[in-house]
Order: sequence, then structure tokens, then C-alpha cells
Amino acid sequence: MAQVPEGGGGGGGRHEKKRAKKGSTHVDMTPMVDLAFLLLTFFILTTTMYRPSTLQMTFPVPPPPDQPPPPPTPLDNAITLLLTKNDQIFYYYGQFYAEGNPEGKPATTLERTDFSKVQKLLVERNKETIAQLNDLAKQFNEKKITEEEYLAKRREIKGTSRNLKAIIKTDGEAKYRNMIDMVDEMDISGIGSYGVLDSLKAQEQALLDAAKATL
Amino acid sequence: MSKLKMPKGSPSLDMTPMVDLAFLLVTFFMLTAQFRPEEAVAVDTPSSMSESAIPVDNMMTILVDSGGHVFWDMTDKKVRQAVLLELGKRVNYAPTEEELNRFANVGPVGVPIQQLNNLLAMDSGVERKEFTLKFEGIPTDSTNNQLRDWITVTRNIFYNDAGQNPIIALKADGNTNYSKVAEVIRIFQSPGIQISKFKMITDLEESRL
Repeated sequence: MAQVPEGGGGGGGRHEKKRAKKGSTHVDMTPMVDLAFLLLTFFILTTTMYRPSTLQMTFPVPPPPDQPPPPPTPLDNAITLLLTKNDQIFYYYGQFYAEGNPEGKPATTLERTDFSKVQKLLVERNKETIAQLNDLAKQFNEKKITEEEYLAKRREIKGTSRNLKAIIKTDGEAKYRNMIDMVDEMDISGIGSYGVLDSLKAQEQALLDAAKATL
Repeated sequence: MSKLKMPKGSPSLDMTPMVDLAFLLVTFFMLTAQFRPEEAVAVDTPSSMSESAIPVDNMMTILVDSGGHVFWDMTDKKVRQAVLLELGKRVNYAPTEEELNRFANVGPVGVPIQQLNNLLAMDSGVERKEFTLKFEGIPTDSTNNQLRDWITVTRNIFYNDAGQNPIIALKADGNTNYSKVAEVIRIFQSPGIQISKFKMITDLEESRL
């Protein structure tokens, strides 16, 4: 069926006599091609590339109440990012000190930023680590080190205790999208140790509420 | 008047190979395309830079829509049916063969366990969707935490069958309040479940496509 002999053409006159029918069996394929390509185009155009990706997250399970809580992580090299409504971010560095704290430290004040600026801020604070990571990536691209070495060293650099750490805290008005965006920023700015919390200390909340009121 | 001389051969091309090719492509696209499963819930996931692909099976997904309603989904059809049978026992509901088959294919489920029989009695997806909208998703409050039941039952059944835990994924709408998502995460962390590693389903950032 692949080929339909063409009748009525030139030549082959002698064989033609043997044929039962003289009429051409040629079928015009053009409409069929039209149809086929129409379907093809339809399928190509209506198919959308639906490509969800996944973000691997680890939320440590809290220790059972009968066990002592783990020692608090030193926060002198940490940034705390408070996510709140309208994609606003407030942040402070280091430990939180409330007004009139017994240690006599100056009270923490909040700085304000948003998602368009926070990346610059984090990259600026963490540029040594990023430089190291870039250097490592370069070595890997030039095939000087194997992938395993690359990943191990990458983890090592990111896990150095001198690095900037981040605590992401969300108040009741932050969206899930904000949190995912922030986790993305962690990856971009090479921050290896960060945690996500959804509860604020009472004093933090008070400070945040005051800051929000000025918006 | 002398006629214009036409070439003798027929001007019509043989279209057959072209048809062959076109239909081959049509068939290919039709067979390889997967319809996006009809979802009982619209979840507009936020985008992220992560490029790791989503697993195709052995995955239990907990969905949170923009209104904070929680849904449960599982890729494995046999596990789904076993979960329905087990949860049905708790509310004295014995699903029929037809309902079991329906449940295997409905995708995310977000009604209280007591309503599963009514949900699965419905034949059309539109009706089921409307029915689902009457409820606030799977109850997660501490007095009636059915999400715990869904997770533990699914995990146990999957574990007995496959000897490992299923992959846990959380798929939440970008506009959900994070506090609701955190509530689900706390259920993941709670004693008896203790899931600390899970995947968050996101869209690939436009710039990475």
C-alpha cells in the first residue's frame, strides 16, 4: 500500500492491457497531509511543558521533652530575617537584645529590606564564602577535581563556622512563597546553615509590629 | 495559438511518505503526552531555582491550597486502595470494587474521612470537586487530626509492602500563609510521624527553563 501506481501516465502501454480497470487508482493525499499536520500542530501547541521541580528540605525533629535541648548555636555571625506581609523583610544581625536587657547591650533595631535587595545584602555579607565557592566551581569546570571532591569541598566550605548563618522567621502574615524565595536566596548567596522558624519571640514580634506600623 | 508546453511528467508529488511522517509524529505525540491529571484542587506552586526533578512514583504528597485546605495524594494505586480500606474501617465504610477503582484515580483527596463514602459515590469529577469545596480539607486541628491518620496509615501500608518509607512531598500554594504550611510541617515532625526530610514541590524558575 505504500505506493499507488499512477495510471494514465506515459509508457507501459503494453502492460496496461492486462489491467482490469483503466481508471487511475491514485488517491490525492493532500487533504490527508493537511489533516495530519493540523493534528500535529494542535498537539505541539497545546502541550505545555509542565515541569515541577522539588526542593529538598530538612526540618529537624525536635528532641523529646525528657531529653535536654541541644545547646544553642552561637549567633554572633548570624542574620535573622523576619518575613512579613507584602513581601517585606526586616532583619538584624547577631543575638537579639530587647530593650533594657540584663546584659546591658544596646537594644536590637530592625532594618528593612525586600526581595529585590536582600540578595545583594547577603552576597555582600558572605562574599568570602562565595569567592571560595566560585573558585571551587571553576576548578570543577576545568576538570581539575572530580564531582565527589567538588561536592565534599562545597559542603565543607558552606559548613565552616565562620560563615554567615541565617535564621528565617515568618510571622502570621508571611506567605509560603516568601519562605521558598528566601530559601532560594540562601542557596544563591552560599549560606550553608540556615533554619526556618514560624514563631517569633514576644519581644521580636513587638518590635516587628512597631516596624510594620511605619510602613 | 500554440499552447504553452507543459512538462510531461505529472506535477503532483507523491504525498505518501509525507503522510507517513506526519502521522508518525502525531502518533508519537499522542502516545507520549500525558494528560495532566484532573486535580480536585488548584495549587499554584511558587518557583525556585532547584532543578531536581519530581519523582514519578512512591511519593505521598500533602497539598495545601491557597485557602489553607489540606489534601492528601499518593502516586501508588495499590497503596491508595489499601489506605482507603484501612481508613474506611475506622468509620464503618466498606467501599465497593467500583469505588476502590475510582479512588485509585481521583488524585488529591481533601474531605474528612467520614465523608469519603459520599465523595466516592459520585461519578463525575465536577461533582466531586464541588462536594470537596463544602469542606475545609482534611482536618488538622489537634482534637481531630485526621492528617496524622492519613500519613501514618499510608506510611505503614507502604512500608509493609515495599520495606521502605515513601517519599514525602509538600505541595503548597505560593499565596498560602506560611503559618498554615508550618502547621503541616509540625504534624510531619510530631512524635509518631517524625518526618524530617521531605521535598517541597516548586515550579522551575522561568529563567532556568
